[in-house]
Amino acid sequence: MTERARDHLSAVPGPPPTDPAQLLREVAQGDEQAFGRLYDLVAPRVYGLIRRVLRDPAQTEEVTQEVLVEVWRNAARFDGARGSATSWIFTIAHRRAVDRVRSEQSAADRVMKVGVAQVEIPHDEVVDEVTGRLERQQVRRCLDDLTDLQRQAVTLAYYQGHSYREVAELLSTSLPTVKTRMRDGLIRLRDCLGVEVTA
Amino acid sequence: MTTTDIHALVGAYALDAVDDLERAAFDRHVRECESCRTELDELRETAGRLADSTWSVPPPRLRSAVLGAIAQTRQVAPVSPAPMRSAQPAPRRWLVAAAAAVVLAGGASTAVYQVQEQRVGDSIATAARASAQTERTRDILAAPDLVVRTAPVTGGGKVTVAQSPSKDAGVILLGASAPPADGKVFQLWTIRGTTPTSAGVLPAGEASAVQIVNGLPGADMVGVTVEPAGGSATPTMPLVSQLPLV
Repeated sequence: MTERARDHLSAVPGPPPTDPAQLLREVAQGDEQAFGRLYDLVAPRVYGLIRRVLRDPAQTEEVTQEVLVEVWRNAARFDGARGSATSWIFTIAHRRAVDRVRSEQSAADRVMKVGVAQVEIPHDEVVDEVTGRLERQQVRRCLDDLTDLQRQAVTLAYYQGHSYREVAELLSTSLPTVKTRMRDGLIRLRDCLGVEVTA
Repeated sequence: MTTTDIHALVGAYALDAVDDLERAAFDRHVRECESCRTELDELRETAGRLADSTWSVPPPRLRSAVLGAIAQTRQVAPVSPAPMRSAQPAPRRWLVAAAAAVVLAGGASTAVYQVQEQRVGDSIATAARASAQTERTRDILAAPDLVVRTAPVTGGGKVTVAQSPSKDAGVILLGASAPPADGKVFQLWTIRGTTPTSAGVLPAGEASAVQIVNGLPGADMVGVTVEPAGGSATPTMPLVSQLPLV
Protein backbone atom coordinates (compact mmCIF):
# COMPACT_ATOMS: atom_id res chain seq x y z
CA MET A 1 0.00 0.00 0.00
CA THR A 2 1.45 3.38 -0.95
CA GLU A 3 1.82 6.21 1.50
CA ARG A 4 -0.79 8.16 -0.40
CA ALA A 5 -3.31 5.35 -0.42
CA ARG A 6 -3.01 4.93 3.31
CA ASP A 7 -3.62 8.60 3.77
CA HIS A 8 -6.97 8.42 2.03
CA LEU A 9 -10.07 7.32 3.79
CA SER A 10 -12.85 5.11 2.63
CA ALA A 11 -16.16 6.88 2.23
CA VAL A 12 -19.31 5.62 3.82
CA PRO A 13 -22.95 6.44 3.07
CA GLY A 14 -25.17 7.38 6.00
CA PRO A 15 -27.88 4.82 6.82
CA PRO A 16 -31.50 5.94 7.30
CA PRO A 17 -32.32 7.19 10.80
CA THR A 18 -33.86 4.68 13.15
CA ASP A 19 -36.32 6.02 15.67
CA PRO A 20 -37.77 3.40 18.04
CA ALA A 21 -41.03 5.36 18.51
CA GLN A 22 -41.59 5.54 14.75
CA LEU A 23 -40.77 1.85 14.37
CA LEU A 24 -43.16 1.00 17.19
CA ARG A 25 -45.96 2.88 15.42
CA GLU A 26 -45.27 0.86 12.27
CA VAL A 27 -45.19 -2.33 14.34
CA ALA A 28 -48.61 -1.40 15.78
CA GLN A 29 -49.91 -1.56 12.22
CA GLY A 30 -48.66 -5.10 11.82
CA ASP A 31 -45.43 -4.28 9.99
CA GLU A 32 -43.17 -7.29 10.59
CA GLN A 33 -40.20 -5.71 8.84
CA ALA A 34 -40.37 -2.72 11.16
CA PHE A 35 -40.43 -5.17 14.04
CA GLY A 36 -37.25 -6.77 12.71
CA ARG A 37 -35.54 -3.37 12.72
CA LEU A 38 -36.87 -2.61 16.19
CA TYR A 39 -35.56 -5.99 17.33
CA ASP A 40 -32.07 -5.16 16.09
CA LEU A 41 -32.22 -1.83 17.87
CA VAL A 42 -33.41 -2.93 21.30
CA ALA A 43 -32.80 -6.68 21.63
CA PRO A 44 -29.23 -6.38 22.99
CA ARG A 45 -30.41 -4.11 25.79
CA VAL A 46 -33.53 -6.14 26.53
CA TYR A 47 -31.48 -9.33 26.58
CA GLY A 48 -28.68 -7.71 28.58
CA LEU A 49 -31.07 -6.26 31.15
CA ILE A 50 -32.93 -9.52 31.66
CA ARG A 51 -29.68 -11.44 31.86
CA ARG A 52 -28.34 -9.02 34.44
CA VAL A 53 -31.39 -9.63 36.64
CA LEU A 54 -31.85 -13.37 36.03
CA ARG A 55 -28.25 -14.44 35.29
CA ASP A 56 -29.34 -17.77 33.91
CA PRO A 57 -28.80 -17.75 30.09
CA ALA A 58 -31.58 -20.24 29.27
CA GLN A 59 -34.18 -18.37 31.34
CA THR A 60 -32.91 -15.08 29.94
CA GLU A 61 -33.56 -16.27 26.40
CA GLU A 62 -37.03 -17.47 27.30
CA VAL A 63 -38.06 -14.27 29.07
CA THR A 64 -36.52 -12.08 26.33
CA GLN A 65 -38.66 -13.86 23.77
CA GLU A 66 -41.79 -13.40 25.93
CA VAL A 67 -41.03 -9.69 26.32
CA LEU A 68 -40.44 -9.06 22.64
CA VAL A 69 -43.57 -10.93 21.63
CA GLU A 70 -45.45 -8.81 24.19
CA VAL A 71 -44.00 -5.69 22.56
CA TRP A 72 -45.38 -6.90 19.22
CA ARG A 73 -48.74 -7.78 20.70
CA ASN A 74 -49.21 -4.55 22.67
CA ALA A 75 -47.46 -2.09 20.34
CA ALA A 76 -50.75 -0.16 19.87
CA ARG A 77 -50.85 0.47 23.63
CA PHE A 78 -47.63 2.48 23.57
CA ASP A 79 -48.37 6.11 24.42
CA GLY A 80 -45.56 8.43 23.34
CA ALA A 81 -46.90 11.18 25.60
CA ARG A 82 -45.98 9.11 28.66
CA GLY A 83 -42.39 8.33 27.77
CA SER A 84 -40.00 7.04 25.13
CA ALA A 85 -40.49 3.84 23.18
CA THR A 86 -37.30 2.32 24.56
CA SER A 87 -38.31 3.05 28.13
CA TRP A 88 -41.72 1.48 27.46
CA ILE A 89 -40.00 -1.66 26.22
CA PHE A 90 -37.49 -1.78 29.09
CA THR A 91 -40.31 -1.33 31.61
CA ILE A 92 -41.99 -4.45 30.22
CA ALA A 93 -38.66 -6.30 30.20
CA HIS A 94 -37.73 -5.33 33.74
CA ARG A 95 -41.15 -6.17 35.14
CA ARG A 96 -41.09 -9.61 33.51
CA ALA A 97 -37.57 -10.31 34.71
CA VAL A 98 -38.43 -9.32 38.27
CA ASP A 99 -41.64 -11.38 38.21
CA ARG A 100 -39.61 -14.38 37.09
CA VAL A 101 -36.98 -13.88 39.75
CA ARG A 102 -39.59 -13.62 42.49
CA SER A 103 -41.55 -16.62 41.36
CA GLU A 104 -38.53 -18.86 41.02
CA GLN A 105 -36.21 -18.00 43.85
CA SER A 106 -36.76 -17.55 47.52
CA ALA A 107 -35.75 -14.22 48.96
CA ALA A 108 -33.02 -15.90 50.99
CA ASP A 109 -31.48 -17.34 47.85
CA ARG A 110 -31.23 -14.00 46.24
CA VAL A 111 -29.84 -12.28 49.29
CA MET A 112 -27.00 -14.80 49.30
CA LYS A 113 -26.18 -14.06 45.69
CA VAL A 114 -25.63 -10.37 46.32
CA GLY A 115 -22.00 -9.49 46.02
CA VAL A 116 -21.32 -11.88 43.16
CA ALA A 117 -19.34 -9.87 40.67
CA GLN A 118 -21.23 -8.74 37.60
CA VAL A 119 -19.60 -9.93 34.42
CA GLU A 120 -20.26 -7.89 31.39
CA ILE A 121 -20.35 -9.85 28.20
CA PRO A 122 -18.31 -8.26 25.46
CA HIS A 123 -20.33 -7.20 22.51
CA ASP A 124 -19.11 -8.24 19.10
CA GLU A 125 -21.02 -5.69 17.08
CA VAL A 126 -19.13 -2.49 16.49
CA VAL A 127 -22.27 -0.48 15.92
CA ASP A 128 -23.65 -1.43 19.28
CA GLU A 129 -20.31 -0.94 20.91
CA VAL A 130 -19.99 2.70 19.96
CA THR A 131 -23.60 3.59 20.65
CA GLY A 132 -23.62 1.67 23.88
CA ARG A 133 -20.36 3.12 25.11
CA LEU A 134 -21.56 6.67 25.17
CA GLU A 135 -24.73 5.70 26.97
CA ARG A 136 -22.97 3.43 29.43
CA GLN A 137 -20.49 6.16 30.24
CA GLN A 138 -23.25 8.62 30.93
CA VAL A 139 -25.26 6.24 33.09
CA ARG A 140 -22.17 5.27 35.07
CA ARG A 141 -21.09 8.83 35.55
CA CYS A 142 -24.52 9.75 36.81
CA LEU A 143 -24.67 6.73 39.12
CA ASP A 144 -21.35 7.88 40.57
CA ASP A 145 -22.95 11.19 41.43
CA LEU A 146 -25.41 9.55 43.82
CA THR A 147 -24.73 9.05 47.50
CA ASP A 148 -23.66 5.49 48.35
CA LEU A 149 -27.03 4.70 49.86
CA GLN A 150 -28.94 6.10 46.91
CA ARG A 151 -26.82 4.19 44.43
CA GLN A 152 -27.06 0.92 46.32
CA ALA A 153 -30.80 1.24 46.79
CA VAL A 154 -31.37 1.93 43.09
CA THR A 155 -28.98 -0.69 41.70
CA LEU A 156 -29.95 -3.47 44.11
CA ALA A 157 -33.55 -3.01 43.04
CA TYR A 158 -33.01 -2.47 39.35
CA TYR A 159 -30.12 -4.74 38.46
CA GLN A 160 -30.69 -7.47 41.03
CA GLY A 161 -34.49 -7.42 41.15
CA HIS A 162 -34.78 -6.94 44.92
CA SER A 163 -37.89 -5.52 46.54
CA TYR A 164 -37.42 -2.43 48.71
CA ARG A 165 -37.97 -4.61 51.78
CA GLU A 166 -35.08 -6.85 50.77
CA VAL A 167 -32.96 -3.81 50.01
CA ALA A 168 -33.70 -2.41 53.48
CA GLU A 169 -32.60 -5.70 55.00
CA LEU A 170 -29.45 -5.90 52.87
CA LEU A 171 -28.43 -2.36 53.72
CA SER A 172 -29.58 -2.58 57.35
CA THR A 173 -31.72 0.49 56.83
CA SER A 174 -35.29 1.37 57.72
CA LEU A 175 -38.06 0.94 55.18
CA PRO A 176 -38.92 4.67 54.99
CA THR A 177 -35.25 5.49 54.38
CA VAL A 178 -34.97 3.01 51.53
CA LYS A 179 -38.16 4.30 49.92
CA THR A 180 -36.85 7.84 50.17
CA ARG A 181 -33.40 6.95 48.81
CA MET A 182 -34.94 5.15 45.82
CA ARG A 183 -37.06 8.18 45.07
CA ASP A 184 -34.45 10.90 45.54
CA GLY A 185 -31.79 8.70 43.91
CA LEU A 186 -33.93 8.41 40.77
CA ILE A 187 -34.70 12.13 40.85
CA ARG A 188 -31.00 12.91 40.93
CA LEU A 189 -30.37 10.46 38.10
CA ARG A 190 -33.21 12.02 36.14
CA ASP A 191 -31.64 15.46 36.45
CA CYS A 192 -28.15 14.17 35.66
CA LEU A 193 -29.30 12.26 32.56
CA GLY A 194 -31.55 15.12 31.47
CA VAL A 195 -34.58 12.84 31.24
CA GLU A 196 -37.74 14.63 30.18
CA VAL A 197 -41.22 13.41 29.53
CA THR A 198 -43.32 15.82 27.54
CA ALA A 199 -46.81 14.95 28.60
CA MET B 1 -52.18 3.77 53.96
CA THR B 2 -52.65 7.50 53.38
CA THR B 3 -52.03 9.21 50.06
CA THR B 4 -48.75 10.67 51.33
CA ASP B 5 -47.57 7.25 52.42
CA ILE B 6 -48.42 5.61 49.15
CA HIS B 7 -46.75 8.30 47.06
CA ALA B 8 -43.50 7.75 48.95
CA LEU B 9 -43.38 4.46 47.01
CA VAL B 10 -42.95 6.22 43.65
CA GLY B 11 -39.22 5.41 43.43
CA ALA B 12 -39.64 1.81 44.53
CA TYR B 13 -42.55 1.42 42.12
CA ALA B 14 -40.52 2.77 39.20
CA LEU B 15 -37.82 0.23 40.05
CA ASP B 16 -40.34 -2.65 40.28
CA ALA B 17 -39.33 -3.05 43.92
CA VAL B 18 -42.86 -3.20 45.35
CA ASP B 19 -45.04 -6.25 45.95
CA ASP B 20 -48.26 -6.97 44.06
CA LEU B 21 -50.54 -5.34 46.64
CA GLU B 22 -48.48 -2.18 46.74
CA ARG B 23 -48.33 -2.14 42.97
CA ALA B 24 -52.13 -2.26 42.74
CA ALA B 25 -52.50 0.44 45.40
CA PHE B 26 -50.02 2.66 43.60
CA ASP B 27 -51.73 2.13 40.24
CA ARG B 28 -54.95 3.32 41.86
CA HIS B 29 -53.13 6.28 43.39
CA VAL B 30 -51.70 7.60 40.10
CA ARG B 31 -55.03 7.24 38.35
CA GLU B 32 -56.35 9.90 40.72
CA CYS B 33 -53.31 12.18 40.74
CA GLU B 34 -52.03 13.64 37.47
CA SER B 35 -48.91 15.26 38.96
CA CYS B 36 -48.02 11.96 40.66
CA ARG B 37 -48.40 10.27 37.30
CA THR B 38 -46.03 12.74 35.73
CA GLU B 39 -43.42 12.11 38.40
CA LEU B 40 -43.82 8.38 37.89
CA ASP B 41 -43.43 8.72 34.11
CA GLU B 42 -40.19 10.61 34.58
CA LEU B 43 -38.76 8.24 37.15
CA ARG B 44 -39.71 5.24 35.05
CA GLU B 45 -38.07 6.83 32.04
CA THR B 46 -34.99 7.35 34.20
CA ALA B 47 -35.03 3.74 35.39
CA GLY B 48 -35.23 2.68 31.74
CA ARG B 49 -31.96 4.46 31.08
CA LEU B 50 -30.29 2.12 33.56
CA ALA B 51 -30.80 -0.55 30.91
CA ASP B 52 -28.36 1.41 28.72
CA SER B 53 -25.49 -0.13 30.66
CA THR B 54 -26.61 -3.70 30.15
CA TRP B 55 -25.86 -4.41 26.47
CA SER B 56 -25.24 -8.03 25.73
CA VAL B 57 -25.46 -9.94 22.47
CA PRO B 58 -28.46 -12.26 22.34
CA PRO B 59 -27.86 -15.60 20.61
CA PRO B 60 -28.65 -15.28 16.86
CA ARG B 61 -31.29 -18.04 17.11
CA LEU B 62 -33.36 -15.76 19.36
CA ARG B 63 -34.04 -13.40 16.48
CA SER B 64 -35.56 -16.08 14.27
CA ALA B 65 -37.46 -17.53 17.23
CA VAL B 66 -39.00 -14.13 18.05
CA LEU B 67 -39.79 -13.27 14.43
CA GLY B 68 -41.35 -16.70 14.03
CA ALA B 69 -43.45 -16.21 17.15
CA ILE B 70 -44.77 -12.77 16.23
CA ALA B 71 -45.85 -14.02 12.80
CA GLN B 72 -48.33 -16.20 14.70
CA THR B 73 -49.33 -13.67 17.36
CA ARG B 74 -52.42 -11.52 17.05
CA GLN B 75 -51.95 -7.86 18.03
CA VAL B 76 -54.22 -5.97 20.40
CA ALA B 77 -56.18 -2.94 19.29
CA PRO B 78 -55.32 0.47 20.73
CA VAL B 79 -57.06 1.32 24.04
CA SER B 80 -57.97 4.82 22.98
CA PRO B 81 -57.05 7.05 20.07
CA ALA B 82 -54.54 8.91 22.24
CA PRO B 83 -52.17 10.98 20.13
CA MET B 84 -48.74 9.43 19.94
CA ARG B 85 -45.76 11.67 20.01
CA SER B 86 -42.16 10.82 19.59
CA ALA B 87 -40.37 11.19 22.89
CA GLN B 88 -37.08 9.89 21.55
CA PRO B 89 -34.53 12.68 21.68
CA ALA B 90 -33.30 13.54 18.21
CA PRO B 91 -29.58 13.91 19.00
CA ARG B 92 -29.11 10.16 19.19
CA ARG B 93 -29.88 9.71 15.53
CA TRP B 94 -26.58 10.89 14.25
CA LEU B 95 -24.89 8.61 16.71
CA VAL B 96 -26.54 5.53 15.31
CA ALA B 97 -25.64 6.73 11.83
CA ALA B 98 -22.03 7.36 12.80
CA ALA B 99 -21.77 4.04 14.54
CA ALA B 100 -23.30 2.16 11.64
CA ALA B 101 -20.73 3.86 9.49
CA VAL B 102 -18.05 1.81 11.22
CA VAL B 103 -19.64 -1.37 10.04
CA LEU B 104 -20.16 -0.04 6.54
CA ALA B 105 -16.55 1.10 6.45
CA GLY B 106 -15.49 -2.52 6.58
CA GLY B 107 -17.26 -3.17 3.29
CA ALA B 108 -16.18 0.06 1.67
CA SER B 109 -12.52 -0.43 2.45
CA THR B 110 -12.68 -3.94 1.04
CA ALA B 111 -13.80 -2.50 -2.28
CA VAL B 112 -11.07 0.12 -2.30
CA TYR B 113 -8.37 -2.40 -1.55
CA GLN B 114 -9.61 -4.81 -4.18
CA VAL B 115 -9.19 -2.22 -6.91
CA GLN B 116 -5.59 -1.61 -5.85
CA GLU B 117 -4.75 -5.24 -5.54
CA GLN B 118 -6.02 -6.22 -8.95
CA ARG B 119 -3.03 -4.30 -10.22
CA VAL B 120 -0.63 -6.50 -8.31
CA GLY B 121 -2.76 -9.60 -8.50
CA ASP B 122 -2.74 -10.44 -4.84
CA SER B 123 -6.32 -10.40 -3.66
CA ILE B 124 -5.74 -12.69 -0.70
CA ALA B 125 -3.45 -10.28 1.09
CA THR B 126 -5.98 -7.54 0.38
CA ALA B 127 -8.89 -9.26 2.00
CA ALA B 128 -6.73 -10.06 4.99
CA ARG B 129 -5.73 -6.43 5.33
CA ALA B 130 -9.31 -5.17 5.10
CA SER B 131 -10.47 -7.67 7.64
CA ALA B 132 -7.48 -6.86 9.87
CA GLN B 133 -8.59 -3.23 9.83
CA THR B 134 -12.12 -4.18 10.84
CA GLU B 135 -10.69 -6.42 13.54
CA ARG B 136 -8.47 -3.64 14.77
CA THR B 137 -11.44 -1.25 14.97
CA ARG B 138 -13.38 -3.79 16.97
CA ASP B 139 -10.43 -4.48 19.19
CA ILE B 140 -10.02 -0.79 20.02
CA LEU B 141 -13.72 -0.25 20.60
CA ALA B 142 -13.88 -3.25 22.93
CA ALA B 143 -11.10 -1.90 25.19
CA PRO B 144 -12.20 -1.61 28.81
CA ASP B 145 -10.63 1.83 29.15
CA LEU B 146 -12.22 3.28 26.00
CA VAL B 147 -13.19 6.93 26.28
CA VAL B 148 -15.62 8.40 23.77
CA ARG B 149 -15.86 12.12 23.01
CA THR B 150 -17.87 14.08 20.49
CA ALA B 151 -17.78 17.58 19.04
CA PRO B 152 -19.96 19.37 16.48
CA VAL B 153 -18.79 20.15 12.96
CA THR B 154 -19.34 23.67 11.64
CA GLY B 155 -22.14 23.42 9.09
CA GLY B 156 -23.72 20.38 10.74
CA GLY B 157 -22.80 16.89 11.87
CA LYS B 158 -20.39 15.59 14.45
CA VAL B 159 -17.02 14.08 14.93
CA THR B 160 -16.64 11.24 17.42
CA VAL B 161 -13.34 10.07 18.83
CA ALA B 162 -13.06 6.80 20.72
CA GLN B 163 -9.64 6.15 22.19
CA SER B 164 -8.05 3.59 24.43
CA PRO B 165 -4.81 4.27 26.35
CA SER B 166 -4.24 0.53 26.85
CA LYS B 167 -4.41 -0.09 23.08
CA ASP B 168 -2.51 3.14 22.44
CA ALA B 169 -4.92 3.81 19.60
CA GLY B 170 -8.17 5.49 18.74
CA VAL B 171 -10.85 5.65 16.08
CA ILE B 172 -12.04 8.92 14.55
CA LEU B 173 -15.55 8.85 13.11
CA LEU B 174 -16.48 11.84 11.00
CA GLY B 175 -20.14 12.33 10.23
CA ALA B 176 -20.61 15.76 8.65
CA SER B 177 -24.00 16.75 7.25
CA ALA B 178 -22.57 17.58 3.84
CA PRO B 179 -19.23 17.46 2.02
CA PRO B 180 -17.35 20.76 1.54
CA ALA B 181 -18.35 22.83 -1.49
CA ASP B 182 -16.24 23.71 -4.56
CA GLY B 183 -14.42 20.37 -4.80
CA LYS B 184 -12.76 20.86 -1.43
CA VAL B 185 -12.31 17.98 0.99
CA PHE B 186 -12.28 17.23 4.71
CA GLN B 187 -8.95 16.44 6.33
CA LEU B 188 -8.46 14.95 9.79
CA TRP B 189 -5.64 16.04 12.09
CA THR B 190 -4.17 15.03 15.38
CA ILE B 191 -2.56 17.88 17.26
CA ARG B 192 0.20 17.41 19.80
CA GLY B 193 1.14 20.61 21.56
CA THR B 194 1.16 22.97 18.58
CA THR B 195 2.20 20.37 16.00
CA PRO B 196 -0.53 19.08 13.68
CA THR B 197 -0.19 15.70 11.94
CA SER B 198 -2.49 14.59 9.15
CA ALA B 199 -4.68 11.65 10.13
CA GLY B 200 -6.22 11.25 6.69
CA VAL B 201 -7.87 13.06 3.78
CA LEU B 202 -11.38 12.31 2.54
CA PRO B 203 -12.08 12.02 -1.18
CA ALA B 204 -14.00 14.96 -2.72
CA GLY B 205 -17.74 14.74 -2.19
CA GLU B 206 -17.47 12.66 0.96
CA ALA B 207 -18.82 13.74 4.34
CA SER B 208 -18.19 10.69 6.51
CA ALA B 209 -15.28 8.44 7.33
CA VAL B 210 -13.81 6.11 9.90
CA GLN B 211 -10.10 6.23 10.64
CA ILE B 212 -7.92 4.25 13.02
CA VAL B 213 -5.11 6.34 14.52
CA ASN B 214 -2.30 4.55 16.32
CA GLY B 215 -0.80 6.50 19.21
CA LEU B 216 -3.86 8.74 19.41
CA PRO B 217 -4.00 8.82 23.24
CA GLY B 218 -0.75 10.87 23.25
CA ALA B 219 -2.36 13.66 21.21
CA ASP B 220 -3.94 16.76 22.74
CA MET B 221 -6.62 17.36 20.16
CA VAL B 222 -8.32 16.04 17.05
CA GLY B 223 -9.21 18.64 14.44
CA VAL B 224 -11.03 18.70 11.12
CA THR B 225 -10.32 21.21 8.34
CA VAL B 226 -11.52 21.91 4.83
CA GLU B 227 -8.67 21.62 2.33
CA PRO B 228 -8.08 21.59 -1.45
CA ALA B 229 -8.56 18.13 -3.02
CA GLY B 230 -5.80 15.76 -1.96
CA GLY B 231 -5.25 17.52 1.35
CA SER B 232 -2.61 19.92 2.68
CA ALA B 233 0.66 19.56 4.55
CA THR B 234 -0.55 21.90 7.31
CA PRO B 235 -4.12 22.64 8.34
CA THR B 236 -5.93 25.56 6.73
CA MET B 237 -7.64 27.60 9.44
CA PRO B 238 -10.23 27.76 10.81
CA LEU B 239 -10.84 24.25 12.08
CA VAL B 240 -14.40 23.17 11.27
CA SER B 241 -14.31 20.91 14.30
CA GLN B 242 -12.00 20.58 17.26
CA LEU B 243 -12.12 17.98 19.96
CA PRO B 244 -9.77 18.31 22.94
CA LEU B 245 -8.58 14.90 24.15
CA VAL B 246 -7.23 15.99 27.51
